[in-house]
Amino acid sequence: MPSAKRPAPLSEDALRHLDALFHFARYLSGSEREAEELVQETYARALGASAQFEAGTNLRAWLFRILRNAFLDARRRAKASPIVDAEPPDDPAPNGEPLRGDAELELLRNVVAEDIAAALLALSPDARAIVLLDHDGFTESELAEVLGCALGTVKSRLARARAALRERLRDYARGS
Amino acid sequence: MTDDRIDAELKRALDRLPRRTAPAGLREMIEARAARPRPARVVATIAIFAAIAAIVFVWLRGRAPTSDAIVAEAVNDHLRVLYSERPVEIASGGIHQVKPWFAGKLDFAPVTAFAGDDEFPLEGGSVAYFIDRKAAAYVFHRRLHVVTVFVFRAEGLPWPSTGLRRVGRVDARVETTRGFHVLAWRDGDLGYAIVSDVDAGELTTLALRVAGDK
Repeated sequence: MPSAKRPAPLSEDALRHLDALFHFARYLSGSEREAEELVQETYARALGASAQFEAGTNLRAWLFRILRNAFLDARRRAKASPIVDAEPPDDPAPNGEPLRGDAELELLRNVVAEDIAAALLALSPDARAIVLLDHDGFTESELAEVLGCALGTVKSRLARARAALRERLRDYARGS
Repeated sequence: MTDDRIDAELKRALDRLPRRTAPAGLREMIEARAARPRPARVVATIAIFAAIAAIVFVWLRGRAPTSDAIVAEAVNDHLRVLYSERPVEIASGGIHQVKPWFAGKLDFAPVTAFAGDDEFPLEGGSVAYFIDRKAAAYVFHRRLHVVTVFVFRAEGLPWPSTGLRRVGRVDARVETTRGFHVLAWRDGDLGYAIVSDVDAGELTTLALRVAGDK
């Protein structure tokens, strides 16, 4: 007979994703403290709604979707506060001529982690999310599930997000 | 130049982002929550019903509430904050956003001398009910701990006159019950109750700031 302290099966499986959720939340929010709160909120919601989770379906995508929704809820609440900075627009307007070929490859080879993190934060939350999730190996159908969008739109959204990230990185290269 | 080469280089650039594991404190907190035998919501519901039952029992016995009621209510209200999906109704952009938000929601001004700082950042506020009256609930953090500061009208509550401890310029009732530390005091027309599972010394530090003593 299991101990009363032993986590339920869903909890055990869910805890395996803790580090990945924290990494996602860290770069989605740009703040370690907010990431901790988001992850706490994610597990609170997941455990509270565990009855709604269908065994055999994608637990990882379900958890990341909960975290993204918690992040968006927090941002909506923060919008009521006049001191919170507005989120950046979805597709930043191009700023000057794009880099071409080897110049862009050279830029990407030399860009440092701080600049990548800053460039990510300059993207819209949806673009930030899809870039991070894609980089973490989420499939297109998982991305659609996490982002709550149609499968057919994932490729184009990802392409737009990558282009926006390259655009931001180019801005950093110009500024350096 | 193909987009594939650019995408591959972009992926390598993203690989440079440091991957931090979840802090140990966060992991412990989540594991502890996951290990609870019942979902938090059920526990919260039981706590609410238990609090209601206790109040009804006291009322049926025709007894006035004792000063224990202040401590018990403070802990129950703190639990409601912990279990709430939305612990704050107004997120903090500083005390100057939170305090005016209470205007029109309370029949008193919830005065506090403390606006939050790096040690005790203010998350926000919400309206709570303290025994039979409305209260302002300020939610602070101390590392991963939540600290709730309730401010309410003091009149008509059973404030104790003995067994108090001097905390700065106020005499506070200091109790530990059900794993939570509580400091409660009366300051003129207003009552204050501070509750958390944070270290008792740290809670006293916050009480000194809330009461206006540094």
